[in-house]
Amino acid sequence: MKFFSSQCSFDYPWAHVSASAWKKYPNEMSTHVVAVDVLRREVDPVSGILTTERLITCKQNIPRWLLAIVGGRDTSYVREVSEVDPVTKTLTLRSQNLTMNNLLSVQETVVYSPDMADPSKTIFNQTARIEAYATFQRLCNKIEDWSVERFRHNAALGRLGFESVLKKLADSVPDNMLQSASLQTAAAKI
Amino acid sequence: MGNLMSASFAPECNKAKAKYDECFNEWYSEKFLKGKGVYNECEDLWEEYKECLGKALTTRGIHNMLDKSREDAPFEVGGRTKEELEEIQAQEVSGSSDAVKK
Repeated sequence: MKFFSSQCSFDYPWAHVSASAWKKYPNEMSTHVVAVDVLRREVDPVSGILTTERLITCKQNIPRWLLAIVGGRDTSYVREVSEVDPVTKTLTLRSQNLTMNNLLSVQETVVYSPDMADPSKTIFNQTARIEAYATFQRLCNKIEDWSVERFRHNAALGRLGFESVLKKLADSVPDNMLQSASLQTAAAKI
Repeated sequence: MGNLMSASFAPECNKAKAKYDECFNEWYSEKFLKGKGVYNECEDLWEEYKECLGKALTTRGIHNMLDKSREDAPFEVGGRTKEELEEIQAQEVSGSSDAVKK
């Protein structure tokens, strides 16, 4: 089993970041994500939490040795369940792979929350747990190492891609940014 | 480019998805985040999209995979796995016993 974690900060208020998160794909960096579909979405009338289930479709180059093991398919699916708590201002996304899961389990948790020290910024926290189930330990290690490396690669690109989405949306809808900023200020006063 | 929408895994659902996404994104920023909308008013648009998706999920064999994942990490608990829920419970228990000690 391998673990991956990363943290970074985006220079936009949480309201802007969380709204942009729904528009993260397509972006020019994360070309492996080809489709995003909403499967279920509900708002809890008591807590006010918005829960969303999505299907994420990926297509990426898999090395030949692994392609042979997974049966020659290069399209993979990920199921993600996210929660937005508008009161605590947290967006949490939990995902796990649907394909190749007899061979590999990838569980990822991403949390976007406001920077307590500076509400004009948003903290991004990502953790992943990667486990391979091959018959031989050596093969497990090889699959896990490849997966962690690929995960790291996609995470870095995803960050860059999201940065560009954040900027694009902020530039195209300046009002939105202002509203987000005023929301933050209003919240800070409470 | 700025408003480019993500595609559906089933191209035949793209149109319905685009309409729904546009509605949701507006609702999310303008209502939900401002505490004005507990009711998701894009529900009607979603019906069309959901129906299209449902068919595509079945014909492409994704439904079964989803059901397995739904058992492991139910929607109702925010997609947390059993292990995660146990961890949270354990933390709460140790947290409250700490509080008692103090």
